[in-house]
Amino acid sequence: MLGDIITPDLFASALRMATPLALAAIGGTICERAGVVNIALEGIMLTGAFFGTAMVLLTGSPWLGVIAAVASGAGISAVHAFASINLRSNQVISGTAINLLALGLTGFLMELWYGHPGTTDPIKVLRPIFNFESPGGGAIAEAWRWFDSIVFSHTPIVYLTILIAIVAQVAIHRTKWGLRLRALGEHPRAVDTVGVSVYRGRWVAVLMSGALAGLAGANLTIEQVGSFTENMTNGRGFIALAANIFGRWTPVGSYLASLLFGFADALQIKLQILRGVVSIPPQLFLMLPYLLTVIVLAGVIGRAVAPAAVGEPYEKG
Amino acid sequence: MPVLELREVTKAFPGVLANDRVSLVLEKGEIVALLGENGAGKSTVMNVVYGLLSPDGGEVLMDGRPARIKSPRQAIDLGIGMVHQHFMLVEPLTVTENIVLGREPGRFGAIDFATARRRVEELSLRYGLKVDPDARIIDLPVGMQQRVEILKALYQGARVLILDEPTAVLTPQEVRELFSVIRSLVDEGLSVVFITHKLEEVMAVADRIIVMRAGRVVGETSPEKTDDVGLARLMVGRDVVLRIEKTTKPTCGDTVLHVEDLRVRSDRGLEAVAGVTFSVCGGEIVAVAGVSGNGQTELVESIVGLRRPLAGTILLKGVDITRADARTSIEAGLSHIPEDRHRRGLILQFDLAENLVLGDHRVPPYAKGPLMRPGQVGAMAATRIADYDIRTPSAGVLAGNLSGGNQQKLVVAREIGRDPELLVAAQPTRGLDVGAIEFVHRQILAARESGKAVLLVSLELEEVLSLADRVLVMYEGRIVKELASGEADAETLGYYMTGGGGEKLSAQELQAPTHGGNA
Repeated sequence: MLGDIITPDLFASALRMATPLALAAIGGTICERAGVVNIALEGIMLTGAFFGTAMVLLTGSPWLGVIAAVASGAGISAVHAFASINLRSNQVISGTAINLLALGLTGFLMELWYGHPGTTDPIKVLRPIFNFESPGGGAIAEAWRWFDSIVFSHTPIVYLTILIAIVAQVAIHRTKWGLRLRALGEHPRAVDTVGVSVYRGRWVAVLMSGALAGLAGANLTIEQVGSFTENMTNGRGFIALAANIFGRWTPVGSYLASLLFGFADALQIKLQILRGVVSIPPQLFLMLPYLLTVIVLAGVIGRAVAPAAVGEPYEKG
Repeated sequence: MPVLELREVTKAFPGVLANDRVSLVLEKGEIVALLGENGAGKSTVMNVVYGLLSPDGGEVLMDGRPARIKSPRQAIDLGIGMVHQHFMLVEPLTVTENIVLGREPGRFGAIDFATARRRVEELSLRYGLKVDPDARIIDLPVGMQQRVEILKALYQGARVLILDEPTAVLTPQEVRELFSVIRSLVDEGLSVVFITHKLEEVMAVADRIIVMRAGRVVGETSPEKTDDVGLARLMVGRDVVLRIEKTTKPTCGDTVLHVEDLRVRSDRGLEAVAGVTFSVCGGEIVAVAGVSGNGQTELVESIVGLRRPLAGTILLKGVDITRADARTSIEAGLSHIPEDRHRRGLILQFDLAENLVLGDHRVPPYAKGPLMRPGQVGAMAATRIADYDIRTPSAGVLAGNLSGGNQQKLVVAREIGRDPELLVAAQPTRGLDVGAIEFVHRQILAARESGKAVLLVSLELEEVLSLADRVLVMYEGRIVKELASGEADAETLGYYMTGGGGEKLSAQELQAPTHGGNA
């Protein structure tokens, strides 16, 4: 029974499920560290998922699809950047507007381009990078099966995400860009008075978060599902926001928090096999990742301190 | 050739000419004090120099060459540094990170933290500005944070250092340290512009004094050629009475406030007020003098109903208000000018009329049942604004948009205008310039003349000596000495305030009720 649930695939699946969350969460981290709330991660991810799929359908190339997803994510986040930085509008309202816009836009283009709502035709997906032969039998082979499944069974963006988390972590703490980013979210006027542009710094951060959330969308469609379905992000952008907070506004923290949520998601799927054994409504298992989000946000993990100037538009002079 | 020269710099804001053809020069190795009342345009002109504001006319010359300074970056590149009144420090970051921000050493985008730290240490050693390069700003006291600001300007290569009201947030000890830092900077060849409205600081530190009033330079002098009375006249534009002489003797009618054996705990749970007994009668001003943190704040808070005492009684006209809340105290005839006008005196997001009616907003004539009566409130506001000389375009302006002096007048107008039995004034002139100080002092004296009881709590000895009929010296939660206004002078007060009189007082003297001591 337990052996059916605790399998190598459970952990491999957790890693896969964590990937889109982590990408969006790291995007959220970068954005909020610069002082801009990005509640639009959900919509940006959906946009990336759609345009990525559309590009693969058009060209047949998954990699061109990934590029389209990243570019469209950055593109739609430019709307958020312009509204919240240049126009100094409320960042939560601007983000909500983008979420609604993305939902409407992808649904509309779906009808326009493919003539029907719902789900697109299947697309060519990115395959796992490694494909090792399994050696004979015995305990060593069993250990190898676990290792291979957890470490070597993944698609490119899953590995790329781990790399991004580490690089972003180092960059935020050890580079000029990172120091300025941290200062931007805490005291933008201090950054301005030493002669560094607040607007430019925030624009770059918002575009980066858009690109990362777009990449998250690509992972969903071009690596995991193999097609686009309306509203397929299904709240992942908001869970990513929670992961960013749980990870205390650090990239590696965001990644680890996403891993926890990803594990809850993977476990939820595995637990479905219990349905025949005990009479628990399957919806209860489906709730698991979301329940975890609520508990985490309700502060079981202790108070996390957000960047001081997050959400405040900056006005020169 | 002067390091910095301003020629006819003009800057207008909607409705105000903040700088009207301001010209001044700063020589190498010189400390120039830019003196003026709040709102005289001192900060505006220096913000123009630092590139934060662009002038409407005139020019700025650096080393004799015209400089078009459009941003702080250009100002920094020219060698101009500025320490703002509100610090430009990122609190969660370290001292080193704050100092190098914007000009970080290192290649290929990475920061060379070892080099950064070494440079901070070198600067700190060279200018005698001791600070821990690895400390986080949030953990440092204000005086230390200011050092970081100065180091930041020096790191950026400042030859001209502008200090905007640098002493406003410092303790007297920190002010002395700052002055010695400024002198050592000048010894190293820097030139300093020191913006302030405090006369004694100007006399203590400046080589040359430039006085501004209403956006213009109205005079230039030096500490040798003038005194504080002359400076005050230049600054305000009329004769200012720095120390008001009381013309009448205290009348001392009925006892208004009587405090008996009061004990109050501080936020940290310590006994901040440790058994205090005194009275204030109608028509007299009793001042509580003391070094900050000796229980004055807790004493005031317990009297006005903001902090529950541990033991003792507080009687207002015979009514027990020991455990009363603020609303009951107000209804019993108490008014309170709080020591922090932003936190407790005003709601900055409310307009003047709303701020003026606070506390009386539920009683006639300003309210009728559950409804406010805007007509009555507006009429009252118009009268108070005129009576208390609050400079504002209208009563609909938000309190946050007034200058500090006018904000304080607003608080004074509400609290004295309410016609209380007892006025508790805690540091009523903190942060004000001489003109506004004189005004507030006159209002407090007027309250005394009309027979009110006044309890004044102040850290400024001058204020205590000028206003009080009796002085209670507080030290470590106790009243260690009571002095009549005739026997009090700065030395005597200073002696008792620092605990000098502790052992000499007999237990009997401490216990004795102090009511009517000099009447």
